Amino acid sequence: MLPAVTFKGVTKHFGPTLAVNDISFEIRPGRVHALMGENGAGKSTLMKILAGVHQPDAGKIAIAGRQVCFANPSQALAAGVSTVFQELSLLPNLSITENMFLGKEIMGRFGSPHRAEMAQRTKEALSELGMSLDPNTLVSELSIAQRQFVEIAHGIKADAQVFILDEPTAALNAADVQVLNARIEKLKAKGKAIVYISHRMDEIFAICDDVTIMKDGAHVATQSLSDLTPERLITLMVGRELNDLFPDRARDLGPVRLSCQDLRLTPEASPLSFDLHSGEILGLAGLEGQGQSEIVRSMIGQYAANSGKVRIGSQTVLLPVTASAGVRNMQQLSLGFVPEDRKEEGLLLGAAIRENIGIGLQSARPGFKPLAKVADVTRRIMADLNIKAGSSTTPVGTLSGGNQQKVLLGRYLASDMDILIIEEPTRGVDIGAKVEIYRLLRELAQRGMAILVLSRETVELIGLCDRLLVVHDRKIVSELAGAEASEHNILNAALTS
Amino acid sequence: MTNVLRSAARIPPAYIVFVILLATLWLTKPQLMNANVMGIFVRQVAPLGILVLGQLLVMRVRSIDLSGAGVLLLVNYMIASGLLGDLPLPLILLVSLGIGCLVGLFNGYLVAKRRVSAVIATLAVTVIIGGFVQFVASGKPPGNMPELMNDIYKMKWGPVPLPVVLWVALTAVMAVFLSRFVYGQFVMAVGENPTASHFSGVPVERTVLMAHVIAGLFAGIAAIVQSAAVAVGSLRLGLEMPIDAVAATILGGVIFGRGDGGVWGPFFGVMCFALLFVSMTSFGVPEPGKQIARGLIILLAAIFYGLNTRKT
Repeated sequence: MLPAVTFKGVTKHFGPTLAVNDISFEIRPGRVHALMGENGAGKSTLMKILAGVHQPDAGKIAIAGRQVCFANPSQALAAGVSTVFQELSLLPNLSITENMFLGKEIMGRFGSPHRAEMAQRTKEALSELGMSLDPNTLVSELSIAQRQFVEIAHGIKADAQVFILDEPTAALNAADVQVLNARIEKLKAKGKAIVYISHRMDEIFAICDDVTIMKDGAHVATQSLSDLTPERLITLMVGRELNDLFPDRARDLGPVRLSCQDLRLTPEASPLSFDLHSGEILGLAGLEGQGQSEIVRSMIGQYAANSGKVRIGSQTVLLPVTASAGVRNMQQLSLGFVPEDRKEEGLLLGAAIRENIGIGLQSARPGFKPLAKVADVTRRIMADLNIKAGSSTTPVGTLSGGNQQKVLLGRYLASDMDILIIEEPTRGVDIGAKVEIYRLLRELAQRGMAILVLSRETVELIGLCDRLLVVHDRKIVSELAGAEASEHNILNAALTS
Repeated sequence: MTNVLRSAARIPPAYIVFVILLATLWLTKPQLMNANVMGIFVRQVAPLGILVLGQLLVMRVRSIDLSGAGVLLLVNYMIASGLLGDLPLPLILLVSLGIGCLVGLFNGYLVAKRRVSAVIATLAVTVIIGGFVQFVASGKPPGNMPELMNDIYKMKWGPVPLPVVLWVALTAVMAVFLSRFVYGQFVMAVGENPTASHFSGVPVERTVLMAHVIAGLFAGIAAIVQSAAVAVGSLRLGLEMPIDAVAATILGGVIFGRGDGGVWGPFFGVMCFALLFVSMTSFGVPEPGKQIARGLIILLAAIFYGLNTRKT
């Protein structure tokens, strides 16, 4: 049988950077083909070449044995290559249907768009993914996970032969991933070829058949996944073993830095309390959407909790706090909040690294004062965190996910906070950068910082945290020591509460 | 083709238009190229230039201010009609600036705190002030400006008219304020992404509010200079000025949320208006023709705005 896609010597430069270096391998039909590598390894560039976004400098691509050369994404789509990209590309002010059919509206009689027909097809595409959303809902009203599903539905409703899924699960929880996997199985049964990019090891082994590993733009290996173990795969990707991922835990804890007392998220909820010590990394674990995010966001006024108080040092903050002043009040108490959505809530993508790191320091000053000097601190942080960029004036939007995340963390290091609350410390970040971020957080804790972490990746929480609080139904149902926690007993604690 | 257009779109078009207009004048009417003639024409746009300083600030924080016309009208009427009685001139001017700030504060409150659409809110403020002035004037034309104001307006520093000196000085102050002070970083951050700014601790509402107050202050200054220029009070003063200000700002490369052109881009946007008036006058184009040319400049700004927003 002809391979669905054949890469032969594909090469792509961006200026002096060699993003994709002489890549050759085949993707077979009826198989799910994982593409693995650290961020910046060239996976996304290679897929963008396949999808017609970029044109290769050298090399050939064949679809089902026929050589192709795409000048733009619509040519690729016409040739049967459909893509779900990593960046959310939906337009927030349009409805789901309008997004799904953007640029290829079905026309009715009299040349006006056939709304009912498009809405119906959207509904079908969504229900194939187990979603019962009203197709007329505005995208801006959807959660990130729902948007991701719409994006996936958009990509796989096309009648294509090759599907590229670039980190489709970055914003999804375990149940959602199951639904997506079922959909992928169906595509596979129809003989389609699926390219699957993800940083989640368990998913790769659950769904994929073959794997191609890339490093620094070059091809490392292409083989069947059944011949590999996760450890072996990671070693191929980064040349490091899995148990080296996480640093040692804290030996002893310092005094209580933050004490959350009698927090009720809703009037009906039973109160919850916890302490965060200097020198520890505390994690909020449990099934997704059980109130972990609301607990931390209520402290900065991004969620209006019903009642409760937060004690930091000798200061007491009564909840709920106002949205407009929440972040600034907490910064004055030396608490930094690192939001999950680094593109929307975290970084100023068009601004320089220096400005992104410095803005925390600047915002602690009155507006009429001269700028705080940030050149030295930026240089130090870029060196300490190993941020790879041309210079401190490089716009943050051009950096890889891992480097962006480091810049975001760097902002709070520059401000020298005592307490950090971090949502998803390593979302969409490759393994190499993850290891660096874990090590950094541990170093900060050792220097006396108190760190509270939220993560969808339970393995990450277990490996990183000294203590875990299992949250279920807006309550803390169990406390586990990090060294004793496992995915099994966290789930058990959540479900038997 | 679009690539060429897009890379050209990175340079604020104000500079390009300015060079083209200057070259045209130089080749066709070299006799106009002397400091005295040019000074007169540049002086004419000084009030617009000062108004633009406020406009570029509010546009960088993703807002807009169309209430400049209202401030102009009110300040002009107030000074010309002797509404404040026998107050000494400096005090009258101070009250004028206060009016500008108050209008700005009101705009800022509506836009930043109440989240009202900036276009509608500031336009409504202009309409209200216009009606108020009509009501107070009850049909009577206002009187003359104090002569002292017109005398100062006509003074020169070397070959440069005093209003132009004031305009350049204020522009320089603004450039330093935005690039060297914390508030400038707040403006940059809010323009870039208000949500991320909020999460990084930038006082977003206060930044937008202050931008409107400062824009109001500049409108007050512009109103004083414009009043000094006309010598006689009027009930139809500067109605088109806010739109010109928006056009000059966009030509200068400052677009909602983005400040590529800095402060000097819009400065040259205003200079384009000045050169345009010189060319028109020297070629004997009558008033309606000037009107059409002005419209074309605004249209050019709109096209440039479209190009630039598609890029992102």
